Amino acid sequence: MTTLSDRLKTVPTFTLPLVVAIVVVLLPQLGLSATNQRQVLLIGFLTLLVSGLNLSLGYAGELALGQPAIYATGAYVAAYMGAHGTTDILLQIVAAVGAALVVGVLTGIPGLRLGSWSLAMTSFFLVLLIPDIANIFPNATGGMVGAVGIANATFFGAQVTNYGYYLVVVLCVIFWLAFMRNLVTSRHGIALRVMRQSPVLASSLGISVFRTKLLAYALGAVPAGVAGALFANLDHYVSPGTFSFALAISILAASILGGATSVYGAVIGAIIMQLGPSVSTSFQQDALIFYGILLIVGGVLLANGVSGLANKAWKKYVVKRAHATRDHAAAATEFHFAPLNGAKLSVNGVSKSFGGNQALRDIVLDAQPGQVTALIGPNGSGKTTLLNMICGFYRTDAGTIDIGGTRVEHLRSHEIANLGLARTFQTPVIPAGITVAEVVLSGRYSPERVSIASAALRLPKYWKVHAHDRAQVAEILNIVGLSDLADEAADSLPLGTRRMLEIARALVSNPRVILLDESASGLDEDEVARLALLIGRVRDAGGTVILVEHNFRLVLSLANTIHVLAQGEIIASGTPADIEVNPRVLTEYLGVKDVAAAAAAIEADTTGSSR
Amino acid sequence: MMTLIWSSLTIGAVYALVATGYNVVFTASGVFNFAHAQLMMLGVFITYAGLVVLKLPIIVVFLMAGAIVFVVAAVEERVAIRTVRVAEAQLVTTVGVATLINGSVQRIWGPSPLSVPYFSSNQTVTLFGGRVLPDEIVIIVTTFVVVAILMLLSRRTMIGLAMLAIAENREAALLRGVNVRRLALGAFAFSGLLAGLLGPIIGPQTFAAAGLASAIALYGFVALAIGGFGSLPGGLIGGFVVGFAEEFTARYMNSNYPDVIVFVILLIVLLFRPNGLFGKTRERAV
Repeated sequence: MTTLSDRLKTVPTFTLPLVVAIVVVLLPQLGLSATNQRQVLLIGFLTLLVSGLNLSLGYAGELALGQPAIYATGAYVAAYMGAHGTTDILLQIVAAVGAALVVGVLTGIPGLRLGSWSLAMTSFFLVLLIPDIANIFPNATGGMVGAVGIANATFFGAQVTNYGYYLVVVLCVIFWLAFMRNLVTSRHGIALRVMRQSPVLASSLGISVFRTKLLAYALGAVPAGVAGALFANLDHYVSPGTFSFALAISILAASILGGATSVYGAVIGAIIMQLGPSVSTSFQQDALIFYGILLIVGGVLLANGVSGLANKAWKKYVVKRAHATRDHAAAATEFHFAPLNGAKLSVNGVSKSFGGNQALRDIVLDAQPGQVTALIGPNGSGKTTLLNMICGFYRTDAGTIDIGGTRVEHLRSHEIANLGLARTFQTPVIPAGITVAEVVLSGRYSPERVSIASAALRLPKYWKVHAHDRAQVAEILNIVGLSDLADEAADSLPLGTRRMLEIARALVSNPRVILLDESASGLDEDEVARLALLIGRVRDAGGTVILVEHNFRLVLSLANTIHVLAQGEIIASGTPADIEVNPRVLTEYLGVKDVAAAAAAIEADTTGSSR
Repeated sequence: MMTLIWSSLTIGAVYALVATGYNVVFTASGVFNFAHAQLMMLGVFITYAGLVVLKLPIIVVFLMAGAIVFVVAAVEERVAIRTVRVAEAQLVTTVGVATLINGSVQRIWGPSPLSVPYFSSNQTVTLFGGRVLPDEIVIIVTTFVVVAILMLLSRRTMIGLAMLAIAENREAALLRGVNVRRLALGAFAFSGLLAGLLGPIIGPQTFAAAGLASAIALYGFVALAIGGFGSLPGGLIGGFVVGFAEEFTARYMNSNYPDVIVFVILLIVLLFRPNGLFGKTRERAV
């Protein structure tokens, strides 16, 4: 079922650009004038610059205004090489990309630590520096006059003709767009989209937010470096005036025009921005005013306009269908989890306070593989805080946390996730704009890795993991009963379905420890039964299950051990049979004054409200 | 030497004022107003128009600059901020506003710098052994006064406390009855008013130049980063640090280096003190 829709999705997105690419390659042969060839080349450079920005802005959610600086880096490196005897255009491109990466990473790291406007400003600052740097190294750059004396490029010793140069530029653009397309349609693309919408979710899936953002930003520098090297060979002249603030703004405008979260949109944006200003001279005079209005309108639409409307329509359609099909959704009843290599989780003496509020005090508990360990207690008793400390979202004030023999209280959340910890959230965190199957796929990021290079170049390793991914996702969707929704937009699903989806995402990573945070709330009876069955199977497969739950009956039926939290302390621990009759639990958690009425209270308390 | 210190303090004060503008808006609405430096530039251009073109009295020019920029900032909030809730899209729209103001200013007044007359005297005086213009003293004093008043307001008035509450936790403030939207609008408009009123004060030093905004935006941002985002005294000190770094490198190295040095300072601060010298760290919540 996924194969057909996958095919429908991939055929048009990849054939049409290919046809266009072939036509563009042949244009000079078909009699395109030299002036127009030059326009194609300039569009090509702009496409590379815009595409790099799209990777960081559209996919990683970080605005980088420094593309002109990276472009300048590439251009000056190639210019220097061309003027000093290294004329091979491939060597120049490689060197330019190397230099672009160095500049991108060095200036990206500080800005990315704080993200958003810090990166925007540090990268914008780079553009201001271009003339200064050119002046500081006048011998290499030619200062404000510009670098001259760049020899004609060669290709393995042969002089590059005009058409040869045209071909190199167009092929570079095509190769980059293919690379970009492969990257964003791979699991890395999903990781980027997950991270952009919820950094917390991303790190709980084992994705290092900082590293991923840096990677997207640094990769975005690559096409800019390539464009720079190519640009130096256009007129054999490079001067600081080319790499201006105005260029930064027009790159951004092109990105917004073509759609920042798209691969081929860069081409469309670049065409409009390249050809638009040449339409009339009055336009050139008012270009900044026009760009300003464009960015305001585009930014508003980027946030909630066009795609927002489409989403709403989509949602309406999908929810209707989802409701219609839910009744028919036949979840697999016969299934088995492969044995899970469960790890023992030990929490020892953990305390945490927020300001003057002591959220947790000296918590000690163990969770064994092949068992369900439940954590119950009234709202605000510290259950979720404890989960967040286990996940590495909060730092402990005191005490240790140990997963399978590894101390984790000082590790960061994505590192802990990579040890085999998976979780669900009290409020399901399902990114918008991705399908159910892709949500589950995002859970596969940690257990089996594929490098960016093998994903973008579609190396054998990628295909191998891709096949595993598909099989595992299909299997887990079948188990939780969501197979029929695989291609639906995930964020439009009803609450109960989203909870099941979160569980599927957690299970698909073959977790050693799984944390379920109030997974049963909002589920209907069938879904609760399904959840209970699933938890039982995970336990039987040897997984370590931590269950935070208000549904007392569910807890009693599933748990091997129950810990009761109240006001940040464990007030009771024991088997369900012990807890059911523990007087403190009855008074503090269930709010029963008369202990004798306990049994009746338990019967009544199925909704899990903590009174 | 003292002359150099005076000029460093003056230019530093301008950066501190930019940082203050960023801070007012950031504290109240969590938005980084990329266009704040453009608002200040607009104030300077309106001053030029009022004093040189229309030959209006200085008081009228103050009121006019304040009022116009007040309105522009309020419109910016309504059109480019309130309609957008995603942080990176807000960055795009504020960059758009900045570009629009840059373009409009160039269209109306042309690309070459225009000199704005002094509203007091242009006779240099000698103070603590350094030569300084009265206007420079006014800029420095104004900066301290503005920051001091804002600090008082933020601690002593309900509006100030409400703004701090929003900065701390937007949703909690909302639940406590703080009108988050009106305050955000108010903060933008107020920052615009401030930017406009400062036009006649900083204009003689900065000139009415279309390239003014980009430079002071970036330097003001470095001041903000040094002082810590959201810290008023931090922005003040940050501004002076940048001012001194710029003037001293320009004097003792050459004019190609100030940008580079200030950029290096920015990178170092972001790397080793990402919350600035006065900022607070906060734990991430799920």
